[in-house]
Amino acid sequence: MSKFRKSDVLLDIKDLQIQGYSNETWIDIIKGVDLTLHRGEVLGLIGESGAGKSTIGAAAMGYARDGTRISGGTIEFDGIELTTATQSEKRALRGSRIAYVAQSAAASFNPAHKIIDQHTEAPVQYRLRKRLEAQEDAMELYERLRLPNPKEIGFRYPHQVSGGQLQRAMTAMAMSCRPDLIIFDEPTTALDVTTQIEVLAAIRDIVDQFNTAAIYITHDLAVVAQMADTIKVLLRGEEVEQASTEEMLENPQEDYTKSLWAVRSFKRPQKSRPTDGTLPIISVKNVDAAYPGGDKVLDDVSFDIYPGMTVAVVGESGSGKSTVARCITGLLPPSAGEVLYNGDVLPPKYTSRTRDQLRQAQMIYQMADTALNPKVKIHEIIGRPAAFYSGLKGTALKQRVDELLDLIELDPALFYNRYPPELSGGQKQRIGIARALAAEPDFIICDEVTSALDQLVAEGILKLLDRLQKELGLAYMFITHDLATVRSIADEVVVMQYGKVVEQGPKDEMFKPPHHPYTDLLLSSVPEMDPNWLTTVLEERGVDNIGEGADV
Amino acid sequence: MSTFVIGFYTILIAASAGLAYFKQDRWFMMIFSLTLISFITGIIGGAQALRSIAIFVALLAAAAGVSYTFKEFLIRIASPNVAKELRTAPLTAAFGMFVIFTYAIAGIFAPIIAPFGEAEVISSAFAPADANMLLGADQLGRDIFSRIIFGARNSVGIALMATMLAFISGALAGLLAAVKGGWFDQLMGRLADVIMSIPSLIFSLLMLSIFGTNMTVIVIVVAIIYSPRVFRLTRAVAGNIVVMDYVEAAKLRGEGDWYLVRREILPNSTAPLVAEFGLEFCFVFLLIAGLSFLGLGIQPPTADWGSMVRENATLISFGDITPLIPAAAIALLTVAVNFVVDWMLFRSSGLKEQ
Repeated sequence: MSKFRKSDVLLDIKDLQIQGYSNETWIDIIKGVDLTLHRGEVLGLIGESGAGKSTIGAAAMGYARDGTRISGGTIEFDGIELTTATQSEKRALRGSRIAYVAQSAAASFNPAHKIIDQHTEAPVQYRLRKRLEAQEDAMELYERLRLPNPKEIGFRYPHQVSGGQLQRAMTAMAMSCRPDLIIFDEPTTALDVTTQIEVLAAIRDIVDQFNTAAIYITHDLAVVAQMADTIKVLLRGEEVEQASTEEMLENPQEDYTKSLWAVRSFKRPQKSRPTDGTLPIISVKNVDAAYPGGDKVLDDVSFDIYPGMTVAVVGESGSGKSTVARCITGLLPPSAGEVLYNGDVLPPKYTSRTRDQLRQAQMIYQMADTALNPKVKIHEIIGRPAAFYSGLKGTALKQRVDELLDLIELDPALFYNRYPPELSGGQKQRIGIARALAAEPDFIICDEVTSALDQLVAEGILKLLDRLQKELGLAYMFITHDLATVRSIADEVVVMQYGKVVEQGPKDEMFKPPHHPYTDLLLSSVPEMDPNWLTTVLEERGVDNIGEGADV
Repeated sequence: MSTFVIGFYTILIAASAGLAYFKQDRWFMMIFSLTLISFITGIIGGAQALRSIAIFVALLAAAAGVSYTFKEFLIRIASPNVAKELRTAPLTAAFGMFVIFTYAIAGIFAPIIAPFGEAEVISSAFAPADANMLLGADQLGRDIFSRIIFGARNSVGIALMATMLAFISGALAGLLAAVKGGWFDQLMGRLADVIMSIPSLIFSLLMLSIFGTNMTVIVIVVAIIYSPRVFRLTRAVAGNIVVMDYVEAAKLRGEGDWYLVRREILPNSTAPLVAEFGLEFCFVFLLIAGLSFLGLGIQPPTADWGSMVRENATLISFGDITPLIPAAAIALLTVAVNFVVDWMLFRSSGLKEQ
């Protein structure tokens, strides 16, 4: 705390309580949180989803979302009490003195207007600058944020700009009135690692340059370690602890914080390919594929997956990882090449495969919300594949469902008759796994299964998948962009870029230099828990390099 | 000043004072505005105007009371899950349900409730109302009250059948088009375009003059006219569901189209379809009433509200409101169904807060 003087307090929240309306009663969401922020300080708010991070972020602007209300406590921004301020007083603050950067810039920009029109709206509205001045200023900010073509990029529409650039343009927009406080609500969560690093660097620089205070909301510890001066950990609407970043990383006090820190430690021994001439369970041979009417998405992709092994397919979004999965399952017939199952050619289209062939390739999806039918009970979701493939009925079917629920560590008595919307994200993902297991496959495709989950929950899912692999001898194809997951669970790694396989091999070799340049870029972009990581990486790469990497 | 006027103002002022004292702001504002309005109307229109206001307010209060008690009654007899949903129903929806319930009773038990048969001539033409005939007689001397009761059975029954037929055919085609896609989707879509491009009234007049005006033809023709709308809605709703991962998972499992429609898509699209059903029912009902009014719908001597309006239309020039009664019956049902549909739409749209 020594870095900031007491007189410099910008935002002072005391005993904040927020309630949400649900099932016709008011339920406490935030149960008395204190928060002090000085000028130029960056505070990292971390916690699982549902911890109340975003709610506190919104409350710092005096804003309560629909269905919530601020029920107690005080929020003082630079001497103005926000809980009792009128709408117009608060409106005068927002945009000019407090700005907000949302998680998904793509969804937050109005697609019907040019970026610069949206950028200049606030300064012109508040009469801080004339329109042309604001435009000049926008270009300068774009340049500082290292956007390519700063003079020109603002005149594009949001859909003509890549996700990482849009997120930076949004940060520039938040800066347009030189606010005292910016709230960043998970600004890099939706981005690829290679893009994330550029946005992080840009945000950090600009916050430093203008000495702006910021609240940085995220669930990713490694990210917050780069950005924040102080870290506050939240759990279910209550503060767990708060300390400066170095202190927090080296010496966390509470058990919950320690468990968060330890989450990335899960590792399991690496297996190698069988040498006794066993055929690969799935073998992708020289596959090309294109969506109807589109360009080629896959170009000569080949790799093998052996029984009982986990092959991770990594790459940025748009690299064709998921398309490979669609080729294997037969949803997208390849335009050239073939997919072999235990040495036999699989028919290219799923409709012409036999039931047994369909049974062998099961999928677990990224978004458990859309992967489970919300209007069907759990026992039917899991029971259907068992009934469909194995013809189980009556008590035999019920027994099988109970068995599967036990396997995924959910109590059959509690979950048998429930509907998916009543479950938490992790529980839904487990149901998705059970549905895949119900078909008794030898091979499962896991499409980004952990990326929508909190770290602790994701860890649980990875452990479960690992246990199931040991017990049932399953082979996994693990599609992911998260290299931490790859490190913990994969045996072999396939790196893809622009629809081509860039590099492949056993995990230990892949993580050791020399790498293909793209693998190197991917590896070095994964945030580490070291607070100086970002600085080091940027120095190694050189500042100019970053801007070019962003030019997707 | 008559005792009525004094009583009228005393009640209003006492009520507003009481509400203001107990801080019932919304009700106080309403009652006191009513007091102010009646001051003005009382000066202009005299006691007669005040009497109309009193009757109007009493009717409104009676309707609200009936709706409230009917809702409470339904909550008590329903199963716990349904009761929980019913509790969220606004008073208008309860009123709608009550009206629909009354019409249903009238339609089902028509022969028992109606004092005379629908084609029975019992007095002279246009006889005025008396103890025997609650609403007087029509142009042939038939009891209008009995004919309205029978009309509930005929008009509503046919409209219900036509709507259901339109729904079954339209929804089935829409769901299959969404699941199958490709040429089937194209074929169904173009077929729907063809039907929708023909003006509906002209199409039905043409069909009815070619095939004759019996019940089956009316039901089928109306169903054909309205099924493309259902098809379009269903296809749009199902189109959003078909792209979900759980449908993909079911497809990859090797499930047939019928299973996909029945288990995966239909349960997730019922809410908008039910709401659309209520809405379409109103349109179908109005179209059939319109056809009857033109003389091409339900044929005499079968009682039907649309044709009753036409048959008694001459009376309106004598200042008699008799032709308006079947018209009001149509309007009331349409409004009631819309109230219920509004509530269902509100529930399915998820606009729960605020």
